[in-house]
Amino acid sequence: VLPVRWTRYNPYYLEPEPSREVYRIPVTELTDEQKAAQELKAVRPIKATPSGLTSSVFSDPTVSKFVNMMMEDGDKVLARSIITQTFESMKRKQVEKYHKAPATEKEGIECNPYTIFHQALENCKPIIGLISIQKGGKYYQVPTPLTDSRRRFLAMKWLITECRDNKHRRTHMYEKLSQELLAAFMNEGNVIKRKHDMHKMAEANRAFAHYRWW
Amino acid sequence: MSKMAASSGRALKSFVQGCCGCSSVILPSIARNVILQKPAVTVLARLVCTSSTLQRKNIAAAGPEKYTQEFIKKQIEEFNIGKRHLANMMGEDPETFTQEGIDRAIAYLFPSGLFEKRARPVMKHPDEIFPKQRAVQWGEDGRPFHFLFYTGKQSYYSLMHDTFGKFLDIQKYQDSMRAEGLFSQDTKQVNLIGSRWMIKEELEEILVQPISDHDCLRFIQLLERILALPYCSIEEEYIQRFRRALEVQSKKQKIEPLQYDENEVAFSIGEGRRKTATATATVRDNGSGNITVNGVDYLLYFPVLQDREQLMFPFQFLDRLGKHDMECKVTGGGRSAQAGAIRLATARALLSFITENEVESMRQAGLLTPDPRVKERQKPGQEGARRKFTWNKR
Repeated sequence: VLPVRWTRYNPYYLEPEPSREVYRIPVTELTDEQKAAQELKAVRPIKATPSGLTSSVFSDPTVSKFVNMMMEDGDKVLARSIITQTFESMKRKQVEKYHKAPATEKEGIECNPYTIFHQALENCKPIIGLISIQKGGKYYQVPTPLTDSRRRFLAMKWLITECRDNKHRRTHMYEKLSQELLAAFMNEGNVIKRKHDMHKMAEANRAFAHYRWW
Repeated sequence: MSKMAASSGRALKSFVQGCCGCSSVILPSIARNVILQKPAVTVLARLVCTSSTLQRKNIAAAGPEKYTQEFIKKQIEEFNIGKRHLANMMGEDPETFTQEGIDRAIAYLFPSGLFEKRARPVMKHPDEIFPKQRAVQWGEDGRPFHFLFYTGKQSYYSLMHDTFGKFLDIQKYQDSMRAEGLFSQDTKQVNLIGSRWMIKEELEEILVQPISDHDCLRFIQLLERILALPYCSIEEEYIQRFRRALEVQSKKQKIEPLQYDENEVAFSIGEGRRKTATATATVRDNGSGNITVNGVDYLLYFPVLQDREQLMFPFQFLDRLGKHDMECKVTGGGRSAQAGAIRLATARALLSFITENEVESMRQAGLLTPDPRVKERQKPGQEGARRKFTWNKR
């Protein structure tokens, strides 16, 4: 994850790696890339880990990023509580489904909310995006490949805007989010529809692909 | 020569009394570099009216202040004599008086409460105070010494010239080896591990001449071309002059030794800061995972889960969750800043308990770096640090 704009850190500093597995691998089993990366890290200073991440098995960088994106006015407590409630309600629904299902289908039902979240996010990520390019006085929507970080950002953004706008005023955010995530896990729902719309637009504007010069 | 003109100009000025903005200069015959004109008629003292602004020297146009070699030598002698005086004053041996001793002596004899460290009195070797300057590049007849003087960047181009000369030497050696039939591809390679190329600032220091980024890049490219040749080990020492060693970062961590209290229990103290919050943490051995913050249990002091996770982070990373007791005092900052400060303080305190490899992995996990992010100041003409005032058309 690269920083945007200028930062208080010198660009010489490298990103930290808080998870423990990387340091458990013995020296003999490292690949060449990992060895080169380790040697580079030994001579360069490293940034401090942000306060949203820890080395425990329960902290997930994707979930942390999602919490930050959902946060409004710096209220991380509220954003994090919404996410935890979402995961709890997803788990409850899935467990209910599990107990009601016949024995043959019991293994197919996923109960871990984190795997559901990751899979749903993966299903929501668009493969190709559109960029507005000006040519001859008019603006055209040109299809373009997207970087991994941009795809992840778009998926999260669509989920959050969908849950904020298209919900009944009496439903809680966590309820709506859990419904959307479960639907995205099954490849249904409004967010998946939006992703397919984006792909169709890109396919329709295929003729303008050569307007992109990079 | 310019100094003599200046002094004579000053002498002239003090000679003549200026009258309210317009000074009348009477050309005397005493001035040395004023050519006297002897017309056929009697010499009349001409009254020339000039304003004081025209007579004032353009100090900025002369460039940076130039120091002569004798001046620098005199400064170095004075510095050495002063060093011996200081050593005598402080009661230490003048022969073995180091720069740190000088700094301590100056801080003791001239105590200063100024916040800006660079404004405090300082006594250093003249080489560190006076910037390095070029000696005059041309002789008495005005002809420059160096053949590349008129390129403008003579030392840079002469360096490139020498380096390319080395390149050609290596090629000649290669050709001679080929002629004798002893040519082989696998020869001794120059060791580049653990060192980096010089940066532009270091090159400027060596050449005593400003160069651009592009120049530095071209020089490094030429050196890499030399390294690509098979017999580059001939000029190894020339190339190593332009490489600087990369220091291993983990050596820079200061690890305090373990201390022992009355009950033979090992403990260690660490300090940490984050965004106006300061924390001092005492980590004790043989504990059961109790954490006390400002006399209060951590569960009561930090009701938010994220802060408690940050407190546990160093212990969990080292697998020592239930083995240590921690007691800390923290002031300043907000809820998250205090948690971050305590995290850094515990990580630093734990350094005394662990092996070097674990220290390195903690550093790579980002636990030992103080977070430099602070609140950005508000700028005049804007509402906040970045937010501008609402734009009005009129």
